[in-house]
Amino acid sequence: MYISLDWLQDFVKIPKTQDPYDLADTLTLKTAEVESVFDESENLEKIVAGQIIELLPHPNADKLKIAKTSIGKETVPIICGGANLKEGMYVAVALPGAKIRWHGEGDPVTLEKTKIRGEKSYGMICASNEIGLDNPEEGPEDILDLSSIKPNPGTPLTEILEKNDIVFEFDNKSLTHRPDLWGHYGIAREISAIKDYKFITLKPKAKIPSTGESVKVEIKDYDLCPRYCGLIINNIKVEESPSWMKKRLKATGHGTHNNIVDVTNYILTELGQPMHAFDKNYIKGKIIVRRAKKDEKITTLDDKIKKLTEKMLVIADHDKPVAVAGVIGGENSEINNNTTSIILESANFNAASVRRTSSSLGIRTDAVQRFEKSLDPNLAELAIKRAAELILEICPEAKIAGPITDIQKFNKNPLKINLDVQKTKSKIGVDIPAEEIRNILENLNFKIKEKEKNIYEVTVPSFRATKDIENQDDLIEEIARIYGYENVPTSLPTLPTKLPEENTERFKKHRTRELFSYSLGFDEVYNYSFYGEKEIKNCLLKEEGHLKLLNYLSEDQTHLRISLIPNILRNLRLNIKYFDNINIYEIGRTYKEIGRYMPVEEKFIGGAILKKGRNTDIFYEAKGAVEKFFERFNLQNIEEVKGIKNTPYAHPSKSISFIDGHGQTIAKVFILHPTVKNNHELEKYSIAVFELNFTEALKLEQPIKKYKKLSKFPGLDIDISVVIDRARKIKEIRETILETDNNLIQEVTLFDIYEGENIPPDKKAVAFKVMLMAQDRTMTDEEMAEIQQKIFKNLEKLGGKIRGK
Amino acid sequence: MEKKLKNLEEECLKAVIKAENLEELKKLEIKYLGRKGKLTLILRGLKDLPKEQKPLIGKLSNEVKNTLEKAFEEKKQKLESAGIEKELKKEFFDTTIPGKARKIGHIHPISRLQEEVERIFSQMGFAIMDGPEAESEYYNFEGLNIPEDHPARDMQDTFFIKGKGDKKHGRMVLRTHTSPVQIRTMEKYGAPLRVIIPGRCFRYEATDASHDSTFYQVEGLLVDEKTSLGHLKGILAEFLTRLFSKPVKIRFRPGYFPFVEPGLEVDFSCFICKGKGCRVCKHTGWIEFMGAGMVHENVLKSGGIDSKKYQGWAFGFGLTRLTMMRHEIDDIRLLTSGNLRFIKQF
Repeated sequence: MYISLDWLQDFVKIPKTQDPYDLADTLTLKTAEVESVFDESENLEKIVAGQIIELLPHPNADKLKIAKTSIGKETVPIICGGANLKEGMYVAVALPGAKIRWHGEGDPVTLEKTKIRGEKSYGMICASNEIGLDNPEEGPEDILDLSSIKPNPGTPLTEILEKNDIVFEFDNKSLTHRPDLWGHYGIAREISAIKDYKFITLKPKAKIPSTGESVKVEIKDYDLCPRYCGLIINNIKVEESPSWMKKRLKATGHGTHNNIVDVTNYILTELGQPMHAFDKNYIKGKIIVRRAKKDEKITTLDDKIKKLTEKMLVIADHDKPVAVAGVIGGENSEINNNTTSIILESANFNAASVRRTSSSLGIRTDAVQRFEKSLDPNLAELAIKRAAELILEICPEAKIAGPITDIQKFNKNPLKINLDVQKTKSKIGVDIPAEEIRNILENLNFKIKEKEKNIYEVTVPSFRATKDIENQDDLIEEIARIYGYENVPTSLPTLPTKLPEENTERFKKHRTRELFSYSLGFDEVYNYSFYGEKEIKNCLLKEEGHLKLLNYLSEDQTHLRISLIPNILRNLRLNIKYFDNINIYEIGRTYKEIGRYMPVEEKFIGGAILKKGRNTDIFYEAKGAVEKFFERFNLQNIEEVKGIKNTPYAHPSKSISFIDGHGQTIAKVFILHPTVKNNHELEKYSIAVFELNFTEALKLEQPIKKYKKLSKFPGLDIDISVVIDRARKIKEIRETILETDNNLIQEVTLFDIYEGENIPPDKKAVAFKVMLMAQDRTMTDEEMAEIQQKIFKNLEKLGGKIRGK
Repeated sequence: MEKKLKNLEEECLKAVIKAENLEELKKLEIKYLGRKGKLTLILRGLKDLPKEQKPLIGKLSNEVKNTLEKAFEEKKQKLESAGIEKELKKEFFDTTIPGKARKIGHIHPISRLQEEVERIFSQMGFAIMDGPEAESEYYNFEGLNIPEDHPARDMQDTFFIKGKGDKKHGRMVLRTHTSPVQIRTMEKYGAPLRVIIPGRCFRYEATDASHDSTFYQVEGLLVDEKTSLGHLKGILAEFLTRLFSKPVKIRFRPGYFPFVEPGLEVDFSCFICKGKGCRVCKHTGWIEFMGAGMVHENVLKSGGIDSKKYQGWAFGFGLTRLTMMRHEIDDIRLLTSGNLRFIKQF
């Protein structure tokens, strides 16, 4: 919202010494955020009117001219390439020192005396956009033509264009709870309270006759329209508004239309009360404020046909709706050049209703913006009187036809709230004297009565009593902000005697990241929680079990993920452009629809390893990563099982699951299903994937590791290599060795698997390192040889042939 | 004989001093002390000496032998260390070749910052809480004093879940802020309370360099019998000072959030220009950082906390934004892009 300093001065005596930037800061700190202060004259400093006396060709450039330009006392040469340049033309001249934007773009630069292609140039002849003006009629190569004004050369442009106002831009969001601040009158009242400047109460002087013709109004629904004021004004001459009004409207971001429409916009901007004017000739019978009928239609002012519903409030005459109440007027009763008689409407509409109607029709107007904040019904009366005053001022022949119609049903009892002074101090954290609390509230137009010691009965002014101030906390805010948040001393609360519960899951999440990133070499990615039908299809998933978004931003963000993998595959696809080896993981939630209101949210770790070309090792790399995770947190009782369930994107046989004692799948490791790989155009790569249910994993027992006695006696390593059936599982072979002597065999580690040359096609050569050690003695060579023989025998029972025996 | 030995000693010592390298020294050693060396020959001749001379000459010749052996050993060490010195000087070793990195991965910058934030607040006695991301309209709005048709709902463009809804919870939304967890925490633990809630939030708004549909927030909540805006200021100043490792000041401005009253916008003094004004703080010296305020009575009620006995304050700031500020990241979309050229920078 834009607020003009010039306009504010109608209602509050701001001294000339008040720096507007400081005022903006004060408002920001005490009321609402002033986003910017715009000094209209700022862009026009050192820019004056000039007249082109003579145009000479530039000796070194075809497109440029030397314009001998009068800038008042002297005539100077200026190099210019404007397409519309001609002798005698009045132009805007930026003198050396002026700040301009080249072609209206970039940061402003300070102009200097210079030479252009060898010719002296004293300043610059400007296009509108170069000096911050907007002139749609100007061509792209044109310069600003001031010939219609014929200003005296040398006159500052600020004077010619009357650009001397200062405009504050308020952040609308920070005014959400302040319906009273949506116009100059309210802001002036606020400044008066904060700065103690004199407030000038508005008292419209228009004489309203006590007899004559009045609008007949019927309100069918007082809940949605607690007050409706109407007034007929005849003998209207619709024409352009006076320049002072246009200037103020333009400064505050409004377009201008004609004197009647401009008056309603002027009132909106001045008082924050939206108004509407109907052409009386098009209103049949009385004004009826009612809900729209089913399937009723209206053509709005912006020429759009809108279908209404029974929930929406309309202003209607005998035949038809003529406006959507508080939202937008109808085209059928619009003010036009032939209008001679008008009905002015100044009403109060229910905030929620206006808001609902506005959003279901998709129409947002200045009126909606104000009504939806809950306006004070008392404002409607002031506004209609002020409008009458203005219309009579700018259209002196106009005649008010009769008394104001004022139909109303709203609570006029002032709102009273008890304020506990002690509680106020305790919440703000400052010992503000009771007297100061009283002063602050009284300055803001609250009335105070001391009910008992330290309890004030506070009467809320009507313009603050609509939703804004409802309870004690709201009053405490008033006191705190005016007292000054900067005066609240910084202090720390004492530590609680009861210490907080530790969030071990969070803690372990960070440790997990360290494990995956800093130990295992994975990069952590973040993905959206959504994917689309294409991703579902590409991963061979079903839509079933997914939560779907009702409103979504794009087709690839329509479903909530039930697995992290589809997005991780997209990450792979993106990154293969730059990397041949990728190790990534994500820790995030999945969302599963299970038929109850709340879906199940589980935290998962999803990861993938990608390598270019054929590679079978990556499955084991992925498996190793998952095993390291188990080891890191010492998770117990996890069984490795071949195969995988409910994972359509996994290779059916190159996959394993890790299951806990309750049958819950803790993790899955697999090679990506070839179809899924093709769907993602990753045919040239080998991809292993893991999924780890972080939530479930952390439920498992994580016992503290117990120390094992270090043996005093040296151990012995023997290497055993065996050629055996390809289908024989490593796990089985290893256990066969281990079980040969549980006491002496400490560890059996696989170190090689070989298939190929010199090995029969259905066989593989497997090599293990076997560590032998006795707790109570140094083992003899004979003992070692004995165990070795036993191992050989057991392996041979499995069908193995010992190599090098 | 005695003289012969003395001369031999003198001659040998001179030669040792002159020796220039180990090879020469070795030759000398053979010449004098070797199996056929000069001294050895003399010593062999001892047996032919008259009986009375034997002890004297024997002693003397042993002394000479020791002296010479010592001299050889000393000279040898000297020559050896000179040789190492020479080697040390001679060998070219390029120290400017870049270090060989062990391969490690990277943690996402938001995760890293989140851990720091959690650590700092933990030290100040805050518990870390969690709540659902798919949330009921009740917890996301009504319970937080944002009724339907409230203009504040405009500030929070919301994702809705299809086909979900009932009387009690309303429709299902993706939480637009971490604030719903305030109520869940109050319901579960009651007062007093001192928690932070970091988490993922969602807004239904068009994506550009500074807006994303997915972002991270940190919510803070303290409820106690007597806690004030002063404490809020203190905790936030302490937090930021620890985070930036330099003193940071806090500024409160009025702001509007339906779930707090008084409502505040919180700025902190620009950590780049120290408040003098720079590009980052748009020449104001302050960086707009978060919303905060005293918890609204209605919110305490929603959480089942007696607002007569207890009062509290809450704040919420953008972890994503703080991450961007910290690393000068100019496009928010990079954070959820999965682009490893980006991730590998941290």
